[in-house]
Amino acid sequence: MAGIKMATPAAKPEEYKNVFVFLETREDRLIRPALEMIGVGKRIADKVGEKLYCLLLGGDIKNEAKEAVSYGCDIVLGAESPDLSVYRTLPYSKIISDFVKEEKPNIFLIPATRNGRDLASRIAVSCEAGVTADCTELDIEQDTRILSANRPTYGESMLAEILCKKHRPQMATARAGIFPVPDRVKSPKGEIRIKSVKVDKSLLKKEVLEFKKKNAVDLTAAKVVVSGGMGLGKADGFKLIEELASEIGGVVGSTRPAADMGWISRDHQVGQTGQTVRPRLYVAAGISGKIQHIMGMKNSETIIAINTDPNAEIIKYSDYVINADLYEAIPALVNSIREEKKKLAPAAGK
Amino acid sequence: MVLEIIVMVKQVPDSQEVVIDPVTMNLNRSLTRNVTNSADENALEAALRIKDKVGANVTVISMGPPQAETTMIECLARGADRAILASDRFFGGADTYPTGLTVAATISKIGKFDIIFAGEESSDSSTGHVGPGVAEFLNIDQITYASSVEYEDGYVTADRELEGGTETVRVPTPVLVTVLLNSNSPRMQTLRRKIDAVKKGMEVWDHDKIGLQPEWVGVRGSPTIVRKMRPIKERERAAKKIDIAGLGDLARELYEKKILKLEEE
Repeated sequence: MAGIKMATPAAKPEEYKNVFVFLETREDRLIRPALEMIGVGKRIADKVGEKLYCLLLGGDIKNEAKEAVSYGCDIVLGAESPDLSVYRTLPYSKIISDFVKEEKPNIFLIPATRNGRDLASRIAVSCEAGVTADCTELDIEQDTRILSANRPTYGESMLAEILCKKHRPQMATARAGIFPVPDRVKSPKGEIRIKSVKVDKSLLKKEVLEFKKKNAVDLTAAKVVVSGGMGLGKADGFKLIEELASEIGGVVGSTRPAADMGWISRDHQVGQTGQTVRPRLYVAAGISGKIQHIMGMKNSETIIAINTDPNAEIIKYSDYVINADLYEAIPALVNSIREEKKKLAPAAGK
Repeated sequence: MVLEIIVMVKQVPDSQEVVIDPVTMNLNRSLTRNVTNSADENALEAALRIKDKVGANVTVISMGPPQAETTMIECLARGADRAILASDRFFGGADTYPTGLTVAATISKIGKFDIIFAGEESSDSSTGHVGPGVAEFLNIDQITYASSVEYEDGYVTADRELEGGTETVRVPTPVLVTVLLNSNSPRMQTLRRKIDAVKKGMEVWDHDKIGLQPEWVGVRGSPTIVRKMRPIKERERAAKKIDIAGLGDLARELYEKKILKLEEE
């Protein structure tokens, strides 16, 4: 592997062509961020008339390779082995680095998921490439084929445009939930190249003992989300959040500190380290509005804040502000909603 | 043989009071207080718990300007045995590649290590790329996003928190582990230890001492450059004030504007 040495600029950047994306899987199935990478990768490849290569590793990946082609991938580069059915840093980074050194892509995009970040920087070091983390906007300059990688910085207040002029490939990790999942193409024509590989034992010392799945609460698909934060004061406060959520057909969300307190399980967490949501209505109860939380909900269509602090940061991001104790405001709001529903649908008799 | 643990730490601007210079669009460092990156405090605590249990030498290392001394002393006062700051004017402006290179070279210079700890990411750059980069330079395995870490008989067992659930892994040392923010409660510094820490002090290593060429590191050794910064424009929102008496009107408005819909329930 790399050893201690500087990043050497690519001798001939013009020899590097095409766009690579890494297709992340869980139990040999593509996850949503993988599809997002196909979408953004294809757009960039098309703009400069190059091909989109999708890298797919796993135990049995033939079906998912066809899936990738159906979403617009031109070439699937696959590596198959029982040893690859679960993501592990060393075998994945070695095999992918070898693909990069062989095919010399101009651009390589990886989802900025936890395993994606685990992987990206190792490949960048191994291939002496430049990598920009957690991009929310990606584009390519047509004449120079230089990637414009844009990432939020300084607590999401600024967007930094980052370029990698001399090193190849130009790598970026792309934030999940930002780039759209592409439509399936009408008559897919991609080529699938899967090879069986034998993974060197020295790369397999990490044992994956267990994987405990979260009860998948998919907040990203919800039309209405009601979230609670530290202002609830106690675990019991989430009962009130649940009551409002069920009254308006929503799901329950939380801030990271509230989940850290153990008041609610982590799979409800909205924000930088949780899920990014864009519901029609987001209710933030007892949430001060730390930037890590704002990042995960600021693109909601309508936002209601319930907070006793008239200067809370969340208010800047809110369409409606209920400046009252949430233990008083939420039951009153639930009542008002019930009354309104009775008026709108008296027959329902709720 | 005693276990050798390295902890990578970084001094960062306090995220609660970041001031951006409106002309240069850069961080106004003179107006911003510096603190130890919070996740790195969790990384140090994870190391100190192993030290408490089986005994270990804990060395904290950082790359940064001389004022990072306060962070280094703080780590000693919490229980680290040695503090090394890689500091050199050539190190400035580094992206994740030369940062990883500099830290990895510093660790190589120290010599033997069994476990390297780091925080999951820094609060000012939020890449999470430096830890894995160091592991790649040193050609060792890694465990990222760990919420719990145990060491026994040459193996580290840890839970990794992933988007879809929790993965438990077991890896023989040497291994690099990045630790989640808030995954433990960092111990306090005592006055006694603080006095000892100031007496002990930190070591400062420059590029020459570490064995790095100036063109390998800092801005010159960075594959990426920042072309420009621009403010992120947020949508203006009305923040319309509603009191308890107005909740009935709010409920009506939500249904009228189809922000809430009856059929969803």
